[in-house]
Amino acid sequence: MNTLRKALAIVCITPLAAFGVAACGGNKGGGGGGGGGGDINVALTSFPDYVDPQLSYTVEGWEVLWNVYTPLLTYKHAKGKEGTQVVPALAEKMPDISPDGKTYKLKLRPNMKYSDGTPIKASDFTYGIQRLFKADSGGSVFYKVIVGAADYADGKANTITGIKTDDNTGDITIELTEPNGTFENVLGLMFAAPVPPTTPLDKDATNTPPPSSGPFMISKVEAPRTMTLERNPNFKTVKDAGATDVADANVDKITITENKNNSAQVTDIEQNKVDFMVDPPASDRLQEVKTRYGNRFRMEDSINTYYFFMNTQKPPFNDLKVRQAINYAVDPEALNRIFGGRMHPTQQILPPGMPGYSEYKLYPGPDMNKAKQLIAEANPADRDITVWTDDEPDRKRIGEYYHDLLTQLGFNATLKVIAGDVYWTTIGNQSTPDVDTGFADWFQDFPHPDDFFRPLLNGKNILPTNGNNYSRVDIPANNAKQDELLTKLIGDGGVEEQYAALDKAYMEQAVWAPYGNEQYTTFLSERMDFDTSYHHLLFNQDYTSFKIK
Amino acid sequence: MVATVGEMEAPGEPPLPAGVPKSQIQGRSPWYLAWLRLRRNKVALFCAGVFVLIVLFCLAAPLWAEHVAHTGPNENHITEKVLIDGQPTNVVGPDGTPIGPGLHGQYLLGADQNGRDVMVRLMYGGRTSIYIGLAAAAVTTVLSVIVALLAGYYRGWIDSVLSRIMDVIWAFPVLLLGIALGTALAVGGLKIGPLAIAGDSIWIPIMIIGFVYVPYMARPIRGEILALREKEFIEAAVAQGKGPLRIMFSELLPNIISTIIVFFTLNIANNMLLESALSFLGAGVRPPNASWGTMIADGYEMIYTAPHLTIVPGLMIIATVLSLNVFGDGLRDALDPRAKIRLEH
Repeated sequence: MNTLRKALAIVCITPLAAFGVAACGGNKGGGGGGGGGGDINVALTSFPDYVDPQLSYTVEGWEVLWNVYTPLLTYKHAKGKEGTQVVPALAEKMPDISPDGKTYKLKLRPNMKYSDGTPIKASDFTYGIQRLFKADSGGSVFYKVIVGAADYADGKANTITGIKTDDNTGDITIELTEPNGTFENVLGLMFAAPVPPTTPLDKDATNTPPPSSGPFMISKVEAPRTMTLERNPNFKTVKDAGATDVADANVDKITITENKNNSAQVTDIEQNKVDFMVDPPASDRLQEVKTRYGNRFRMEDSINTYYFFMNTQKPPFNDLKVRQAINYAVDPEALNRIFGGRMHPTQQILPPGMPGYSEYKLYPGPDMNKAKQLIAEANPADRDITVWTDDEPDRKRIGEYYHDLLTQLGFNATLKVIAGDVYWTTIGNQSTPDVDTGFADWFQDFPHPDDFFRPLLNGKNILPTNGNNYSRVDIPANNAKQDELLTKLIGDGGVEEQYAALDKAYMEQAVWAPYGNEQYTTFLSERMDFDTSYHHLLFNQDYTSFKIK
Repeated sequence: MVATVGEMEAPGEPPLPAGVPKSQIQGRSPWYLAWLRLRRNKVALFCAGVFVLIVLFCLAAPLWAEHVAHTGPNENHITEKVLIDGQPTNVVGPDGTPIGPGLHGQYLLGADQNGRDVMVRLMYGGRTSIYIGLAAAAVTTVLSVIVALLAGYYRGWIDSVLSRIMDVIWAFPVLLLGIALGTALAVGGLKIGPLAIAGDSIWIPIMIIGFVYVPYMARPIRGEILALREKEFIEAAVAQGKGPLRIMFSELLPNIISTIIVFFTLNIANNMLLESALSFLGAGVRPPNASWGTMIADGYEMIYTAPHLTIVPGLMIIATVLSLNVFGDGLRDALDPRAKIRLEH
């Protein structure tokens, strides 16, 4: 009797416990609202790396923060190519640029306030740039071109001499060491958003984010689980100052919650418990969503490159033949299937849609025989490698695919899967041991090819922390070429062709193993206005376009 | 009236076969008596048989992988095709949908999204889960017995210190402690003196699971030791000049061996459940290696379109844990019938 009772109890409890554990990823949603205003719920698989405008450097972070922190310039709130146009935001107009291209003059709009009522001052711009260097931001690479920035970063100076501001008049003057064809673009990134001097200079402000200068403010953060955006009560001061190109919010409150189970996110949207999911639906749900919910789902163009990085400074990937072998072995079609068919195959750095993109293929394949032959020729002494990836389902599968590939090539590979919200900061930290190779992707920060070379492949940007040059690439000739091209405008004759050649020069060295350009998606609940919502080419979903029917 | 030895019968003891004189009972060892009792418990024996079958099924993994499935547990076949009913069929379709289960040698239980044979992973995963269950139970047993013997024999401050340490470990929910340790040790591994275990080693979950269950086994055994410590045979051993270690291992340990065996069996089941939970939550067995827990985690992502990826390893866990628990109960009843009386009354 005792035995039977116990047996029955286990039979009942075990599946219940299994489903109990399985249900941990569930998400509750709902919320009222209607017409202008209302509360909505957003789900994402990995929480933003930082909730800090100077530090965040992930797709998730930028998507959220774009409408919270407004820089002097910004990108137009519009679909397609129109959205890549830089327009004035907190600055009255576009900068006056000196004939030699080295001096930028801007003027801050008057009488604007942060969400907490603090006046927005011209010197807050300087403070924001100083934070980039003191807090070791991955975005600091774009602002090293400012006179005195390098000395400030090295601790040789207390201020950045190249930035002069006047809080009374709102004048801001920026001196560059050399002309820079992307500087207007980088002034439009949240890295350059003014923040009040009460923000910690050299620390991450995720838990107490600085007050907002955009249509939304962050009212609650419980990283890495949830955060809440609410209407900024002082955004009116920004609009009243004439910032017409900065869009206003349509909803009152957005609750953003991390849910590691992508499939549960899909179900939550189908059942209208969640209103939007940041990540595309899992590949096994994609067909179902496409066919059953076509009136609230669409595929979106996105400018990005997915690749495997390889640490070019350490064996075995310091050997060109080993890196070439990986490029021959990787099968973009296999990876496309992991993504549910949302991937355009590639084997180069610049993605389609980026100036300078010109399709080519140096390593035709997949060709495992050629790859094995190259490995045999290289005969690396060190075959113990660690493969890194994060725990988002498709990325974990990519890591497992890559691990198997390396095993087939004769390596003793160890797969390391870590949480998505700390993945980039972990592999971008020089002190993390055994960062040999692994998953990486890059979404354009701004529509200029330099954005795919400088942060990711320039030797000067092998940073101690928050680095993006995961392959630790430092090729002096290519670094110099980047610097030379940056002094020119993308429209100048032959510049695009030279960027295409630079792309090829890097791939001849097989610094990455690129395999695809991903399409993104928009999938909304029934109560959302599907027609007003749109996907921005730089910042993904524009949260100001969310509207309840 | 004082009964003779031959007339006494322990409660729950099986009756002697017809024609066997009662005096022969003196010649039977406790183990033989336990076996006689266990033999009468058909449910427990059936469950033991089920567990043996599961173990054999898992041990056959290399044979199945090599001769039937022709693939290893971690080998990806995303863009490959297999012949099903004479038709070349994608292992994983262009839209990412993997082949489902069917009556074919390869991919009997279908493939996962990386084109890996689920049947092969199930068998290899079972080896991992059972191995972890057994090894962690051994770790728990060794540590618990050492702690219980020291605390129960010496009593005093040694008992106080060890008991408080056990209390601290006990204060944490097992799963929470397991996740915390699993996450912390996953990156840097474990280094204690000469003992060094890599972060991705299967010995990390083994050590974690083995460690977190120590108080659950050590405390009841300590209680038994404390009771035995007061018995005359221990006093006699001390009077004979036996040292503490000898008393612990030659006098006390043999008297608690039946308890240890029962705990060991039940621990295997508990360990397998904890391993599954830890692996499901990403703090146990490291991908791409298969265990039933990691298979449930992988399959859970596809629970709407391919529920069998979750259900099949889930059923294997249920069958294994159930069989071990029922067998463990039967073993306890057989080894210590008085314990059964205490439980039932």
